Amino acid sequence: MMMTQNLITTPNKLPVAGQAQPDRPLIRLRQVTKNYRTAAGDFPALRGIDLDLYPGELVGVLGKSGAGKTTLVNLISGVDHLTSGEIWVGDTAVHQLNENQAAQWRSRNLGVVYQSFQLMPTLSLLDNVLLPMDFTGLYRGKSSARHALEILRQMELEEHAGKLPSNISGGQQQRVAIARALANDPPVIVADEPTGRLDSITAETIFEIFEGLVHQGRTIIMVTHDASFARRFTRLVWLADGQVVDEPQFQID
Amino acid sequence: MAPAAKIDLSCALIQIENVSKTFKTPAGDFPALKDINLCFGQAEYASIMGKSGSGKSTLINMITGIDHPSSGTVRVADHDVHHMNESQLADWRGRNLGIVFQFFQLLPMLSVLENTMLPMDFCNQYAPAERENRARLLLDMVGLGAEANKLPAALSGGQQQLAAIARALANDPPLLVADEPTGNLDSRSSTRILDLFDELVSQNKTVIIVTHDSSLAERASRRVLISDGMLIDETMADALPMLGHPQLLRLSQLAVNRSYEPGAILARHDNGKTGLFVITQGQVEALRIFRSGESEVCERLGPGTYFSELELEQDERSVLAFRAVSDVPVEAQWVSHEAFYHFLGESNAAENALRKAATERFGHIHRQVQPRKSFWWRR
Repeated sequence: MMMTQNLITTPNKLPVAGQAQPDRPLIRLRQVTKNYRTAAGDFPALRGIDLDLYPGELVGVLGKSGAGKTTLVNLISGVDHLTSGEIWVGDTAVHQLNENQAAQWRSRNLGVVYQSFQLMPTLSLLDNVLLPMDFTGLYRGKSSARHALEILRQMELEEHAGKLPSNISGGQQQRVAIARALANDPPVIVADEPTGRLDSITAETIFEIFEGLVHQGRTIIMVTHDASFARRFTRLVWLADGQVVDEPQFQID
Repeated sequence: MAPAAKIDLSCALIQIENVSKTFKTPAGDFPALKDINLCFGQAEYASIMGKSGSGKSTLINMITGIDHPSSGTVRVADHDVHHMNESQLADWRGRNLGIVFQFFQLLPMLSVLENTMLPMDFCNQYAPAERENRARLLLDMVGLGAEANKLPAALSGGQQQLAAIARALANDPPLLVADEPTGNLDSRSSTRILDLFDELVSQNKTVIIVTHDSSLAERASRRVLISDGMLIDETMADALPMLGHPQLLRLSQLAVNRSYEPGAILARHDNGKTGLFVITQGQVEALRIFRSGESEVCERLGPGTYFSELELEQDERSVLAFRAVSDVPVEAQWVSHEAFYHFLGESNAAENALRKAATERFGHIHRQVQPRKSFWWRR
């Protein structure tokens, strides 16, 4: 993979492959809590999370439905706001960013992948990958199209670049979503149940892609409720009732 | 429910003519759509319903231009959808079509507001300075004004679908197509989405929802049923809700159109085996003709109702006859005795359902002394 040749280095850009400092945590959570207001009163979704994640880790966030997995990654990606505590990604205090700052920071440092792909159904695969570049202005004109095609090639989807999402399989759509997440060459990728709608063989290809990306020095944080994936990660974070817990006693195998 | 009025093709928003679609698969050709003819008018609220694999999504993909037919033509808003190149198609789609999907398909890195502005940026129908304002108006309309700056992942599923609808309306298209729009939502969110569709129809938008859920389909004013790549006659489906899709499809294929002058007799008991009639236009009187020669009108039947020889043959006291009312002609879908008999032989379930319905009707006739105004004949 030739991803690193497209690396854009900007002052607020996190280090990627080659520049990573594996001894220093890239993502630091300190006593992070999150309460949701509900009709029945405050619901504590996260209760004091301390966590250090390092560059190049393929982190699996595991736990049952309602354990706080999605809340955790939504706080790291700045999609949601914490109730108390601190979240640092590199030298950025994510918990202190306002909406605009968060959007700008996210567009340069973070790629997101969701269960349902979230591709624009009426745009070609190429245009879907181009969209985030158009918004951030990191790549322009012909160079952006070249870059998008290159990422699609890495996802083995170049020949389909002109097709609409509905004309390719679910696994291929998720690879387009990953290509889009990579458009701005982010050092961190957050994936919430990216294999949730895929069969096991297709899920395998997604893991292979993720392994290639962490090999380049990227950090991937993936949420899954499927404990059978546990062995695929280089790092496991088990959540239960909003807290980090030891690996559950029931052995999955 | 009253069936849809006949649509004048010349003013239809969507005209689908002789459309077939065959997919090539390793197991051979698979015909997903077989010679479909269908149109939808302005401000129509229609559902396309069918089981998984029936062809409903393929059909909708023909309308949106996401897929191409193997043969036939599709015209939407005066454009031949499948004779445009990709950029013409994208431009046309942007102006004429809003599409809503089961899983929302909002861009995760853009705020709800930016997502709503996106189609305007693609289409250039609204000046750049107007776009944010318009997006905020649309978000207010769907009740998401306060969430405009949030990212989709920070919203509930129901809110994300409302945002997707706001985005679909960005360029004020005449047509909104929604593929299983509530398939991933709880019932409260679903109701909110369906209420919004009602509102849009009242604003003269055409809304077509694709679903496998009959309770959802009921909300539409017109229901199109598809089974095995073919359309079920809509009036037939309304008249015979006790039958399953394959049976309705079979009857649709067996039926022929028949016209009757005002006052003409459609069928009577002593006239032998009369088959099945589904009234599509006009009014029919169900008459009891007594041995004395007197007659009385039991009921008036309108479009979307049926009668069959199963009711006729069970009336023993008098002759039951069906006559077009004296002032308007009648149009009916007619299945001949031979075809109907064969159909009943093919399906026990259909025969049982129709005989059960016939017995219930027949009981009413016997108990009834004076003509009633009740709608025992309707379902």
